[in-house]
Amino acid sequence: MKAKRILAGILAASAAVSLAACSSSSTSSTGTTSSTKGDTSSTESNASTDASSTETPSGEKLTLKVLTHRTDRKDDGSLDAMTDAFEEKYNCTVEYQAFKDYAGDVSTMMNTKEYGDVLMIPDTVKLSDLSSFFEPLGSYDELKDKYRWADKKMFDGTVYGLAHVGAVSGGICYNKRVWEEAGITTLPKTADEFIADLKLIKEKFPDTIPYYTNYKDGSWTLCQWPSLVMSASGDAEYENKKLTNKEDLFVEGDAYYNVFKMMYDVFSDSTLIEADPVSSDWEGSKLMIAKGEIATMTMGSWAVSQFKQVATENGLNPDDIAYMPAPFSKDGKQYAETTSDYCIGVNKNSDDAHKDLGKKYIEWFIAESGFSKAEGGINTLQGSEMPDYLTAFSDCVFFEKATAPEGLTGVWDAIDKESEVGIWQGDAANFKLQMAEAAFAAKGDAGFKEIVDAVNAKWNTARDANADLAAYLG
Amino acid sequence: MANNSVANPVKRRTLGQWLRGYTGQKYLTTVLFLAVPIALLVLFTIIPAINMIIFSFQQRDQLGLNVEWVGLDNYKTLFTDMSYLSTLINSLYYFVGSFIQLGLALFIATLLCSKIKLAGVFKGVIFFPYLMNGVAVALIFQRFFRGDDGGTLNSIISLFGADPIKWLSNTSLNNWCLVFASVWRYIGFDILMFIGAIQSISPDIYEAADLDGANAWQKFWHIIFPGIRTIIALQLILAIKGAASVFEIPYIITGGKFGTSTFVIKTIETGFQYQKIGLASAMAIVLLIIILIITVIQKIFFKEKR
Repeated sequence: MKAKRILAGILAASAAVSLAACSSSSTSSTGTTSSTKGDTSSTESNASTDASSTETPSGEKLTLKVLTHRTDRKDDGSLDAMTDAFEEKYNCTVEYQAFKDYAGDVSTMMNTKEYGDVLMIPDTVKLSDLSSFFEPLGSYDELKDKYRWADKKMFDGTVYGLAHVGAVSGGICYNKRVWEEAGITTLPKTADEFIADLKLIKEKFPDTIPYYTNYKDGSWTLCQWPSLVMSASGDAEYENKKLTNKEDLFVEGDAYYNVFKMMYDVFSDSTLIEADPVSSDWEGSKLMIAKGEIATMTMGSWAVSQFKQVATENGLNPDDIAYMPAPFSKDGKQYAETTSDYCIGVNKNSDDAHKDLGKKYIEWFIAESGFSKAEGGINTLQGSEMPDYLTAFSDCVFFEKATAPEGLTGVWDAIDKESEVGIWQGDAANFKLQMAEAAFAAKGDAGFKEIVDAVNAKWNTARDANADLAAYLG
Repeated sequence: MANNSVANPVKRRTLGQWLRGYTGQKYLTTVLFLAVPIALLVLFTIIPAINMIIFSFQQRDQLGLNVEWVGLDNYKTLFTDMSYLSTLINSLYYFVGSFIQLGLALFIATLLCSKIKLAGVFKGVIFFPYLMNGVAVALIFQRFFRGDDGGTLNSIISLFGADPIKWLSNTSLNNWCLVFASVWRYIGFDILMFIGAIQSISPDIYEAADLDGANAWQKFWHIIFPGIRTIIALQLILAIKGAASVFEIPYIITGGKFGTSTFVIKTIETGFQYQKIGLASAMAIVLLIIILIITVIQKIFFKEKR
């Protein structure tokens, strides 16, 4: 009897321990820095005590809570180290909370009022809903001369968020050594030249994979392709025109068509890509491109620093990794779109003291933190220096995508979601994945046309049903 | 009146007294013990489920703004635009697989219940995959089915001189590969259930059968099978439910690529990639109804046989 009781006690204790372990692991997985705010039930009371403490004029320190997607920079301490200067300058404490699945977790948090004081604005928030969640930072006319991409999180002429860093949106990562040793001296300026170059690499180095599709992770790796489209179009108004002219998404000879036709053609040639794309390995591919076993990958410029890092860690030459502009030309000139990364905004539900500090934080982060330089990104300040890795872009015309005219804001994204075309999505039924699979199955031009027609039909149905567009066009 | 006042003190106890009594203690203990699981059930299952039913009649995004009541529109979309329900077709592979799984499980369970050496070890080995994390199982099979010459299966067949096969991108093979992984994982549970059922049959009956000179097949068909029929029915329902709602194995191994998408994968994509939470909720409800219908059919079917 006694033994049974002891056993029951042990079981109960172990259950309690495992429950405690669960809760502690759940807070650590979201990277919570504060021990007090791990529990959602206590957040309300915490918020009120925070608010009262800020009102005491006794010079008590404010605590600014910042939500970030950069778990890596939070974990290696560089974000905190960088912020010391700000904390000193404004006599406050900055607390970072980093999320692995940033958009997912923060979107859920935004159902409550507790989502930090300063945060990266998740793209799940529609532009028209920005004012329900974020504090205005100023009017577009005030900010546009000082900051790049000021219109990214703008609604009705009011700006709710500024890019924490930016980059060239579309480009192709390549191993410079392999390309040069294959005898390629000038980078390709057209899709045909690009494919010819890949073939040349295969000829010279049969063991090298000229283009690595990374198709196993296609749900995001293929999403690197649409980022070439704006650069390929060389037209800041490209998407707006498509809407107002009621054009198909894919028109032969047009940017969308050209970019994805190039993708289709590369993927169709089994000698140019890896043996089994569905078994590709993203982490492994970083080392392979550093070694020169892979020659080329379409990736955002953020990948450049990751590849270089892997090269350095493995005793290889990081300078082999280079970045080339999208191989498309308009009137003999190549264009390169620059885009913002996540924009930082201030929580509308914070109290005034925190809001003010939050706005100062955003200004400081962009102008003084040195984050963009450390990350190799383009600084949000107008006229700031371009980072080193863009040497191959020296002949390109840089441009930013034009704002949608009033009344047309958010219409493009609304059509994209409603039609489930999903230009930036990677679901299994997505056109990009279908194109890749048709290419792997060598379905030829007919296979491409079939997918393109289906996408156009879906897009046009949703576009014609869109009330905002109809109202805009009158 | 006087009589009543004498008799009543026994009956008219205060609440505190009642609670201290035998019945009171019995109810109090029951309520207290039930309170925690019921609270958890309500908080994490019932409330979300009710919300989901409400959501399925709405058009809403992940942030819960711009909620619009659309009545049955979500259901109409589901049944008119076949791109949603068509993913259920892939469940047929797993449905077929579940029959193979049950047959095989029954066979192995019967073997393990006969007098063989090291039965305990075999039971352990066969049950082990069920204990493993589904993600780990999926990662193992990702490696196993790699289409280049580095894959486990391709290395094995190359020993016999065969060329590597692209298991996961070949649309006539890949779903069967995934079914194989699923059978491998879940068969241990079936076997364990069958072993338990078989062992609950009284050994006297076997003895009598031995005396009557029954062979192994006769023993199986006339003793074991009728004895475990209810367990088979239960396993069948679970298998069909599993086939309709299969998720983690295809989601991790192929991500639904090359025509291996399933209804649950499609639901997640609709909800969290296209932000159509209302439509995704409706899909979840449809899945629930499908499973309910199957369960009812099973019940009727097995009642008639009895």
